Amino acid sequence: MRRKEESPGLHPLERTTAERLGQIVEAAERAAEAVIDDAEAEARRYLDDARARADRLVAERVQEAGELTDSLIARAEEIRRQAEALVDALEEARSRLAGEAEGEEPASPPRTSRSHLSAVTPVARPRLVADDSEREEPLAASAAPNGTPAAARLLATQMAISGSSRQEIELRLRNGFEIEDTAAILDAILGPED
Amino acid sequence: MSAEDAVLGLTDVQALEERYLMRTYKRAPVDFVRGEGAYLWDAGGKRYLDFLTGISVCSLGHCHPAVVEAVREQAGRLMHVSNLFYTEPMARLAQRLSESSLGGRVFFANSGTEANECAIKIARKHAHGRGIAEPEIVSFEGDFHGRSYGALSATPNLARNPAFGPMLPGFRSVPRGDGAALREAVGERTAAVLIEPIQGEAGVFPIPDDALLAARQACDEVGALLILDEIQTGMGRTGSLWAFQQTPVRPDVLTSAKALGGGMPVGACVTGPAAADVLEPGDHGSTFAGGPIGTAAALAVFEAIDDPTLLRRVRELGRDLSDGLAALDGVREVRGRGLMVGVGLEEGVEAAAVGADLLERGLVVNVPAPDTLRLLPPLTVELPQVREAVGLIGDSLRSLRS
Repeated sequence: MRRKEESPGLHPLERTTAERLGQIVEAAERAAEAVIDDAEAEARRYLDDARARADRLVAERVQEAGELTDSLIARAEEIRRQAEALVDALEEARSRLAGEAEGEEPASPPRTSRSHLSAVTPVARPRLVADDSEREEPLAASAAPNGTPAAARLLATQMAISGSSRQEIELRLRNGFEIEDTAAILDAILGPED
Repeated sequence: MSAEDAVLGLTDVQALEERYLMRTYKRAPVDFVRGEGAYLWDAGGKRYLDFLTGISVCSLGHCHPAVVEAVREQAGRLMHVSNLFYTEPMARLAQRLSESSLGGRVFFANSGTEANECAIKIARKHAHGRGIAEPEIVSFEGDFHGRSYGALSATPNLARNPAFGPMLPGFRSVPRGDGAALREAVGERTAAVLIEPIQGEAGVFPIPDDALLAARQACDEVGALLILDEIQTGMGRTGSLWAFQQTPVRPDVLTSAKALGGGMPVGACVTGPAAADVLEPGDHGSTFAGGPIGTAAALAVFEAIDDPTLLRRVRELGRDLSDGLAALDGVREVRGRGLMVGVGLEEGVEAAAVGADLLERGLVVNVPAPDTLRLLPPLTVELPQVREAVGLIGDSLRSLRS
């Protein structure tokens, strides 16, 4: 018999069962391979997505860091410029006071790379300032202090450092020191107006 | 304690005070039990708009969450160890104070008066170092620097009270804002010029630029120190962190307190480089000053106030407030800068009556002089609250003048 020849020694029922089991195992293996293939494909897609997201995030962070760095550099530059203006103003005030103490003409302000500061119009007599810079009325007159340009520059610098706007500083300079052309002082401290 | 939790009423509290407290204060008849932002509540549950903020102490408004949290957190961790040891909040606050102002060193105190005592000691020692045997400190009439003997001696109006004499020697004064008189008064014996850039207790009188410049120049000529008392003007009150930042001078020393602690008692004497090393170990000290809770609170206050946006709002709202007040009938003049505002009333209008009437109407203000109201609202005040206050003052003036 054919079956005897194919599976000698096995009972026909056993042979049939074994074949079926073999088919089942084979089918299960095929199914498992398919599942594994699917899982691997899914994992690859997930990894690809994750990698793409990470790349995107890194790119965004790099861009943000770059912008932040630019902002910090700009702020540092602004602070440096204000500090230099303050030092200039203080130096000039010191020179002038030293000159006065010796009974001489006020010493010339130190010349630096920011020599445009000297373009500020000197004003001999500041208008006396009342309490509110926008509603100032002259108080009782007294002797005008010397060193007014340096004082005006120090005022403007301190106001700038403390966060006052260009308009606020300009108003204070006009009302407090009667400086009509405030642009030189303001440009030196805040940079030219856009 | 909420208004509902109040155990005693105003009458009972007044009875206790009458029996047990020294009679050094003439208090308004209100028993406050709660505060939040720009508002206070009394024991009866009535709400008040606070335009005094504990004399410019609660500048961030009452019970600012950041300050409350800083106090709560620090109190639960470490309350006090004395100045025999290092503590981080004190060191960090000193850094912020120095770097935001004069760049030198800081001595912490428990009040503005004590901060000024430190400044006076610095001035005298600095002068002795220049060979001056009997140093002198010059102030303006109307200045208020405190009530302990050094600060009191530098407070001309109070120093004249013979009941507490003799005052310390070595103090003199010149008329308020008189730069020429100040230059005349400063001489070889001068250790320092100690002035308020805007006189607060006197009724809010800004010192003119020329007088400040005269003080700076006079000090420089003789080697004296210029000390600015920024106890009331500092910490954002005028629209910049420090009032001197809106003037043409830079002091050698400044003193701070009031708003610095946001409700906690914190004072500070801050120097520039020239005076930073005058005091040496053993020269000065304090048990409580610079303690962790107060300095932690002050750091929270600094964090909130040292903000360009907030300071710009202070300047803008200050203009709104001053403009609104100046337009009222019965107002003679409006003085000040930022949210530090003095209102001079027309002749015949009693400021005390206006102050009492405003309290009845639910607005808290101060009356520093018979013809003056002083307004020190929180720096976090909103425009509608500013308009409400102006409206209430207008109502009160109309009512009392009719």
